[in-house]
Amino acid sequence: MTQDQVRDAIVDVNSDFRVEYERVLAEKGSRRYQVPRTRAYDAVLAAMQRLSMRIADQASDLGYVSVSAPAPSPLSAAEWSQAAEKDLPRLRDIASRHVGIVAHFLDFEPDGLEIVINATVIESAGISEISLTMRMREYAPPKSGRPRREYAPPTAVRLGLDKIWRALDRELPGARL
Amino acid sequence: MNNNEFPDALPTDYRLHWYVLDRVLGQGGFGITYVARDTNLDTTVAIKEYLPVDVATRRADSSVRSRTDDQAERYRGGLERFIREARTLARFDHANIVRVHSVFEHNGTAYMVMRFEKGETLAAVLERRQALPEAELKRVLFPILDGLDLVHGAGFIHRDIKPDNILIREDGSPVLLDFGSARYALGQSRTVTILVAPGYAPIEQYYDSGESQGPWTDIYGLGATCYRAITGHAPMDAIARSKGKLGSTQEMLLPAVVAGNGRYSDRFLKAVDSALEFSEKDRPQSIPQWRSQLAEQAGPPKANAPSTPATGSRSARPPWVWAVGGGVAVIALILVAPLLARIELPGTAKAPEPVAAATPKSSENVEELRRQIASLKAEQTDTQARLAAMLQRAEDAEKRKSDESEKKKAAEAEKPKPAVEKRKVEKAAPVKAAPEVVAVSAPAAAPAKPVEIPPPVTREPPPPPPKDPLVVLKEQAERNDGVAMVKLGDLHLAGTGVERSDQEAYRLFRRAADAGNAEAQLRLGDLYSKGRGVPQNNFQAYVWYAAAARSGNSAAKAGADRTAASLQAAEVQQAKKLVDALGKSK
Repeated sequence: MTQDQVRDAIVDVNSDFRVEYERVLAEKGSRRYQVPRTRAYDAVLAAMQRLSMRIADQASDLGYVSVSAPAPSPLSAAEWSQAAEKDLPRLRDIASRHVGIVAHFLDFEPDGLEIVINATVIESAGISEISLTMRMREYAPPKSGRPRREYAPPTAVRLGLDKIWRALDRELPGARL
Repeated sequence: MNNNEFPDALPTDYRLHWYVLDRVLGQGGFGITYVARDTNLDTTVAIKEYLPVDVATRRADSSVRSRTDDQAERYRGGLERFIREARTLARFDHANIVRVHSVFEHNGTAYMVMRFEKGETLAAVLERRQALPEAELKRVLFPILDGLDLVHGAGFIHRDIKPDNILIREDGSPVLLDFGSARYALGQSRTVTILVAPGYAPIEQYYDSGESQGPWTDIYGLGATCYRAITGHAPMDAIARSKGKLGSTQEMLLPAVVAGNGRYSDRFLKAVDSALEFSEKDRPQSIPQWRSQLAEQAGPPKANAPSTPATGSRSARPPWVWAVGGGVAVIALILVAPLLARIELPGTAKAPEPVAAATPKSSENVEELRRQIASLKAEQTDTQARLAAMLQRAEDAEKRKSDESEKKKAAEAEKPKPAVEKRKVEKAAPVKAAPEVVAVSAPAAAPAKPVEIPPPVTREPPPPPPKDPLVVLKEQAERNDGVAMVKLGDLHLAGTGVERSDQEAYRLFRRAADAGNAEAQLRLGDLYSKGRGVPQNNFQAYVWYAAAARSGNSAAKAGADRTAASLQAAEVQQAKKLVDALGKSK
């Protein structure tokens, strides 16, 4: 197995996960609530903190907050395993095209990864739209010649977004449109 | 390698031919320097990678590419220059010039392989010791002069000489590092303030693209380095000096002959002052010329170990030195008295504190002081007009390059503001009407009473003195004038005339940006992109660049394209919605 093969495998996995990620975002990436922007923004902060996410940067007047936490947050270990079980066959299938049987030894490990979520809140006519994006970030530099892993497993994205929206619905009861 | 600290760096153990990267030594605006292992020769080397962050970016496959197609030509030009200059440097084999072993292209960029030098930078030495005695300073300076002379002889100049770029090896010998960095960067960034080291760069580096730079430019850097080693601090930066010479501020560089008096030989101090002449034509034009000034020493240094360096604070200076400083301030006040009459900066309009109790050590010192005063006065009167032009050019060079529509808008915005134009006229007028001061006796023992100022020759009433531009700027910024907030923010970024503070700059830019000022939005993009004054955040950088780009600013558009490359497509869409909302709220 050469460095180039590993690199190509990661590039292909990133590409596949990206397509799926964008599909999930189109379906679950934003929600509208009938509350003023300031209230929606405060609810985002509260929900994220409730999910053990750390506020990395915020601009309330802009309606922007970035939160992060070591993976698997905001998922629990069990939820992460569930995502891995679902997405691992797909990952191995893609990787095996480049690295052959070695792909079957690949695993989803949250170690060394951080989950970063950007949330924006935009108000129009008394209705606030909250949008979320999610990415993985590696603590340590990737090994020589290897691209960075950026897109979380699609099932993890789906589970993560569901969890955040549930937390937000609790913060803004009855306001969801 | 710490990926968080150097996110663009190649990873540890990355292999470049037979070199294996170990760690990052440092990163500048034009590239990254690594410590690496030469596996063929089993030695340690330093490798400099060309990666000008303004125009190029690292790809996932480790290659370096221009950020946009528009920047490809500029990137390629800089890369070729990097390679060409590495080849030139490789010709020099001098003990005091960093040795370049080879240069090669790889990953779409180039790598300069150099000898890895162990030691401590002069900056670190000075940080620890504050000052160096003359003999020790010369042991650093003269070998560097020898090496630099060789390089100048080949038509090559360093352009970034400062204590950080002089390494003192373990055996005490110096070596000059980091050739050409400023040159590669020049033209790639929009503001020159980030390309030059304030205090160590002469005025021509602020406004000039290269025509008037030469050995004298490096000589200024060396003179400033000596000044730092003598006084404990770098000279004020050239822009501040130019304003002091124009009379718009009271800032004058305390000459080394005054600051180092009694601790260094007069000859040496004079040579340092000569190297620090403001105008390039007044400096030694070549290394041999300056070396002869340094070497024509009348006697040994007066004191080999500096006691207390002049730090600029009164308490830190020996009494006599302070007295001289006060004397110079008196004369400066006389020369620019009409200009200062209405200056409102706290403390600046006050008469100098009495220094009568202090007396010079000898008549020799008084004579020296007279010569200094005469020199200051001559400079004041002879170069006013030229300096005004130079300052204007320097300030022009500081401005961001925006596209034609932006310029037109700015020009239109300035037209209906006669006050601005009026101030320019007023700035020049009092210079002509400045009263002549023919002679001043014993200024070091200046009396508590103000010195009599001869009446102006002209019978016309003098024009009203202008307010200090900085005071005016602050007032305008307080009134939420967007242009003033941006200018004041720029001054805080550069530490020119005000405290250097990225946070204060951010606050000013943010206020102006919230009010819709595109220049301020562009600068916010820069701050977020670089993590200056705020946490580094490409998402926010993109938001502000994109907001500024709506006004047609090409630099903002380039910034938006650059940061977008590091964001997910979904994040870009998310940010765009925020920008739209921002536009609607204004």
